[in-house]
Order: sequence, then C-alpha cells, then structure tokens
Amino acid sequence: MNWDLSKYLALFVSESRDHLDALSAGLVRLEKSGGSGEDPAAVVDELFRHVHSLKGMAAAMQQEGIAHVAHRAEDVIGALRARGESPSVDVVDLLLAVTDAISEMVREAGAGGVPAAPEALAERLSAASSRLRGVAAPAAEPVEAAPAPVPAPPAAAPARRRTRRLRVDVEVAEGSPVPAVRGFLVLKRLEGAGPVVASVPAAEELRAGRMPGRTLTVELETDQPIPELERTLAQIADLARVEVREVEEPAPAAAPPAPRAEGAGEAVRTVRVRAEMLDEFLDVSGELLLATARLRELGRAMPEAGRRAHEEGVDRLQAIAKDLHGRVMSARMTPLTALSDRLPRAARDLARRTGKQVDVVVTGSEIEVDRALLDEISDPILHLLRNAVDHGIETAVQRIAAGKRPTGRIEVSARRDRDRVILEVSDDGRGMDPDALRRSAVARGALGADAAAALPDAEAFLLACLPGVSTAGQITDVSGRGVGMDAVKRSVEALSGKLSIESRRGEGTRFTLRLPLTVAMQPVLLVRVGQEVVAIPVSKVHGAAQASVEALDRAGGAPQLAFGGGHVPVLDLGVLLGTGPAPAGVRRSVVITESDTGRVGLAVDQLLGQQEAVLKPLHGPLALVPGLSAVTVLGNGRPVFVLDVPRLVAA
Amino acid sequence: MPKKVLIVDDAVFMRNMIRDIFASGGFQVVGEAANGLEAVEKYRELRPDLTTMDIVMPFKSGIEATREIVKVDPRAVVIMCSALGQEALVMEAIEAGASDFIVKPFKSEDVIAVVKKVLGEA
Repeated sequence: MNWDLSKYLALFVSESRDHLDALSAGLVRLEKSGGSGEDPAAVVDELFRHVHSLKGMAAAMQQEGIAHVAHRAEDVIGALRARGESPSVDVVDLLLAVTDAISEMVREAGAGGVPAAPEALAERLSAASSRLRGVAAPAAEPVEAAPAPVPAPPAAAPARRRTRRLRVDVEVAEGSPVPAVRGFLVLKRLEGAGPVVASVPAAEELRAGRMPGRTLTVELETDQPIPELERTLAQIADLARVEVREVEEPAPAAAPPAPRAEGAGEAVRTVRVRAEMLDEFLDVSGELLLATARLRELGRAMPEAGRRAHEEGVDRLQAIAKDLHGRVMSARMTPLTALSDRLPRAARDLARRTGKQVDVVVTGSEIEVDRALLDEISDPILHLLRNAVDHGIETAVQRIAAGKRPTGRIEVSARRDRDRVILEVSDDGRGMDPDALRRSAVARGALGADAAAALPDAEAFLLACLPGVSTAGQITDVSGRGVGMDAVKRSVEALSGKLSIESRRGEGTRFTLRLPLTVAMQPVLLVRVGQEVVAIPVSKVHGAAQASVEALDRAGGAPQLAFGGGHVPVLDLGVLLGTGPAPAGVRRSVVITESDTGRVGLAVDQLLGQQEAVLKPLHGPLALVPGLSAVTVLGNGRPVFVLDVPRLVAA
Repeated sequence: MPKKVLIVDDAVFMRNMIRDIFASGGFQVVGEAANGLEAVEKYRELRPDLTTMDIVMPFKSGIEATREIVKVDPRAVVIMCSALGQEALVMEAIEAGASDFIVKPFKSEDVIAVVKKVLGEA
C-alpha cells in the first residue's frame, strides 16, 4: 500500500480501545452469565464480532502482529461458539490476557510502532483452539435443562444430504475497487446455498460500504458439500483467500431462549427472521409506495375517459401499499432493552476508572423503536452516559462537600409521545455553566460576543455541541475521544430528531432527545431554487415568509429578516448549493429553519409543498458531501436530495 | 467454440470499447443493446453465454433488465458495468441476479479475468 496510513492512526487506536473494552467487559459477563440469566451464546457472538473487527482493522493498518494475535483469538472464540459452551475459567483468563496484550500493542502502534505478536501467547491460543475444536461437542448431552424437543427427521428422509454448519472466511484482493460490494456478492452467493446464521460484517454494514480489512466471515447452514461451495466461490473474481470449513452445530443450550408461554397453551408463536430481511422488506415496501406515486403522476396525463377508473385503482393500491408499509414498520420495532441493558455496566466500568460512585437507573426500556433507529442512537446515548459520569457526576468527596449523597445518580428514561420517542439522560452532578460555554464559543470564533450574550441559557447549553467547545477543563480518555457532543447532536439531527439540554449549576444536567419512532418516513418540505428541487425535513422548519431580500436590513453582514419577535439571518440557498444567486429584485420565499448557531432563513424561489418521503441513505461519495442527509424520489421519478441544513450552512 | 457475448450500454463509445475488449479476449460479440428493454429482447433471441450490463439506461434500467433476464433464464450470466459511487445500485443488481460486476475505468485484462472466473474458465 502506498498511501499514508498515519492519518487513520488515532481513529484506529480509539476504535480498537472500544473493541477491547467491550471484549473484556464481555468476558467478565460471560463468566457471570450463569446467574444473570444472560444468554451466553449472545455474549460469545458479541466477543466474536469485536475480535473480528479488531483483526480487520489491524490488518488494514498493516499491523500484522495485532492482526495475528486477534486472528488466533478469533479462532478460539469461534470454537467456543461452535461448541455452544461457556468458556472455562482458563480460557477466560487466556482471552483476558490476550485483551491486555493487544491493548499494549495498540498503545505501541499509537506511538508509531509496529509491535510483533507475542509468540508464546499466540501459541497458547492455537493450542486452546485446537483443543476446543479437537474434542467434539458433547452431542447427546443437553448442557442445560430441557431444551425444546428436536423434531424427529421425517421417516422417508431423502438421500444423505446432511445439513451442516459451514464457516466461510473470505478476503477480497487488495486493489479490488469496491471490496464491500464484492463482499456483498459473496454473501448473496452463500445465501443461495443455505440460510446464513451469522455474517461479519453484516449485510447492512456491507451495504454501507464497511468491510474492515476486506475480510468477511459467514456461517451458514447448508447441505451443499464443501467442494461445491468452493466451486461457487471460485467463480467470483478478486478474492485473495477463500476458506470453507465445517464447524460444529452449537449445542441446543446455545439457542436463544424460546419465548416463555404466558399462560398454559398461550405460547406466542414467533419465528426468527434475519435482520437484513426486515431491511429488505422495508426497502421493497418503500419502493412500492414510490411506484404507486409515480403511477398516480402518470394518470394525470391520461385522457379524461379512463382517468377516473385509473385514479380509483391507484387509490386502492396506495391504501394497500401504505398498510403493508405500516406492517413492515411494526415488524421492525425492537425494544430499547437491546441498548439499555448495556448502560449500567458501561457506567460502572467507567465510574471505576474515574474513581466515582454512580448508580444508573433505566426506565421505559420496554418501549419499542425501529431497529435502524436503535442502531443509530446507541452511540449517542452511550456518549451522553459517559459524559454524565465523566463530567457531570462529581467525586464522592466533592459531593459530600456540596451536601449531596456520595453516590451520583444517572437516570436514563424513555417514553412515547405520540409518534415520537423521548429519551432522557439526566444526572444529579455539577451542572453546566452557560457563561463558560458562551466564552468558549466566542473564543473559538463560533459566535460574536453580542450574539453570545443574547443567547438564552437553553441555547447556550447547546453550544457544547459545537466542535471544540467545552466546559470540561481537561480532556479525559473517557469522553474526550473524538466522538464529542457535536457528533451526538449531528446523529440526533440526522434522524430528524431534536436535542435539548437543561442544566442547573450544582443540581445536574438533563439531555433530552426527541426522536421519531422510525427513520424511514419523514415529512419534508419541497422547495425549488433555480432548476433544482431539494427537500428540507419539516421537523426543522419553523415557518416561512415572503421577502425581497435586497430590501432587508444588513446589520450583521447577512440580511436580517424579522421573524417571531427576533431577527434571523437570510442565506440564499442557490448560493449555498452552488447553483448561483437569484436575479436581483425578485420577492422570494424564505424558509425559517435551524443551524448549529440558531435559526436561519433560506431564500428559495418557490415552496412546492409538503410530502411524506421515503428516505434512502446516501452511499459512496455522496454520503461524504456535507449538507446532504438522504435522498428521496418524487412521484414523477425525480430523485431529490434532503438537506442537512446545519452542515450545509457550516460548510 | 468462442463464448457468445451480448453488450448492453446506452453509450456507443462504451459499447465499442467493451466490444474491443471481448474481441481481443477471443469472445464472439453476438449482439448489442442500447437500453434495458432491448436487452431483454436480444437476450431471448440470442441466448448469449454472457451479458455485460450498464446500470443506468433509458426505458428500463440494467437492474430491471437483469431481473427479467434471470427470470427468463435462471442460469444467465450477467456482469454489471458500474462506476465508482454506484455501489448501492450494484448491490441491488446482485440481488436481482447479476453474477459479478466490473468497475469503470475498465482495464481489459481485468474485464477478461472477471469474465473467465464467472464462466469457470479460470
């Protein structure tokens, strides 16, 4: 490789640390899982993912030593997974030692070194994995009490094509143009051979273009012989390495616990569906809605005679499509437990590291949200929690001096408010200082001194979300790691949500995230500027006005429009989008929306109206264009970009 | 017998270029189509061993055409011709049944390598 990897180093180190933290926490949990009711198989899966990511990242960074150790550790965890067993104390010890060793190696790598793999450790890992793989899993012996009875094979079983579980490791050749797409192709081919049980990275990761280290590991159940599968894969170009091997079926105990029957004979009938399948359903049902809208559009050009019947047909079709879409959406709803269960542990670990005492109380975790949303909010919520422990909660000594209980309290709560979900992270810590934030923002040049002084406290708190603005005197290794409050705010806004902060000095801080329950459908306002049509999320629009922009007062540089008892700066959207300014002297429509530093007006040529839009994420280079957040397709088939106004204005 | 190739692309320039690549690789280009609609018709008529398919085309996209061709002939080998930035579309095409893909700018040896792999000749 001939490009400079050093610019990725900081990110590599911080992400590796995240994975290492998760690994050690998972290992500890696995040891305790006997009593906690947690499914050990799920924890092992999690460990596998983390170590796999580490391996891929290390390989991408040309840190062969780290990649080597991680690869060996992956083998051991893979073997554990195949056996469906919790590891012995020895194995946990070994894996914890590996975690520590890799941490040290990552530290060295961060300092510019290329640490070699500690051979002794690598050998112990190899020995452990061959031990685990060599001894067949105790087949007939149920590990835990009474698994569901396995249905007997049908009497007239066809010829011996036994379903086995195969593990496929693939590495895409270096220099292959779009490795994630190639990975996706491999995954799809494998899906053709039998149900895929696990894929790292998962299909949605690949769709998003992520394939660390250009490696893909898939486990599938298939009756195809290994050579046949190898032949299938041999027909895919640009693969540097393909390995197919059989893994043992996990013992019944490793299967997720069956839903418990509420009353006798009242068992809820459920089936397990692959998560990507739900994404595909949503995609297809969204497409159906779009296609219906297109059909309606076409009908407008039809001769009068047939139009009526066509419209009725389209109405009916649309009703069905909407119903289908709604049902798919509800099938995607996932309880917040998936996130909230991780919080107490994360807080405890962190509190221990910072020497503080913290209780975490979670309420409302039974509330269900769209699974895509759940994925997107996990990091922000974890970050807010870290922030609360790190910056919010005082040390026990400080708390006692302030007349508080020595143990701090962090509440994470979720509730429904019609079609929104409200998530709050609040602490009873030291609170934030709005004046310090104002000063910091002014010092950073983000805001004029007058504007800062005029900012109400509630908005001043949000200044903490500007990059580089902070009240924290020092950056700790806990929350000062790149994912800052700006990332939190941006994530929330990318989901068409809203972040607000309340704080009282000495009493605590409350972060409130108001989010839609789903991310796929959003009302947008369509506007035209020049020849371009773009969409602005309605959740961000405060109003609209008509104005002749040249006639406005230009006190602070930008023309100021009187709106809602104040003044908002007006920017020409044509200029922002690079399509050029509007001709002079024309009255224009101004959409009042919001940027990072307050309200802003966007001058446009025409307001085209509001519409429910099926949002599609951007891929590839487009995802990198600041100011665009998604794309949707209009009834006439025209694709329209959805603006990310704060980033557009800041760009 | 040389393998038969159908080239689908709305740009004449691209068709010429792809035709040259295949001709030099010992394939027989049996037909060309300039849009998805034509592609499906030509496929039915010519039954090529291999079809190269542009993605964004008038009348019917390469993805739609691929889906229909695979419906007509589940063993059809369709190779998508894509550009960087079309990853999502390529994945859609793979789901529609495309066998593999190549990414512009094409290098003739890469194209032939992919094709031979897919046809099981390498």
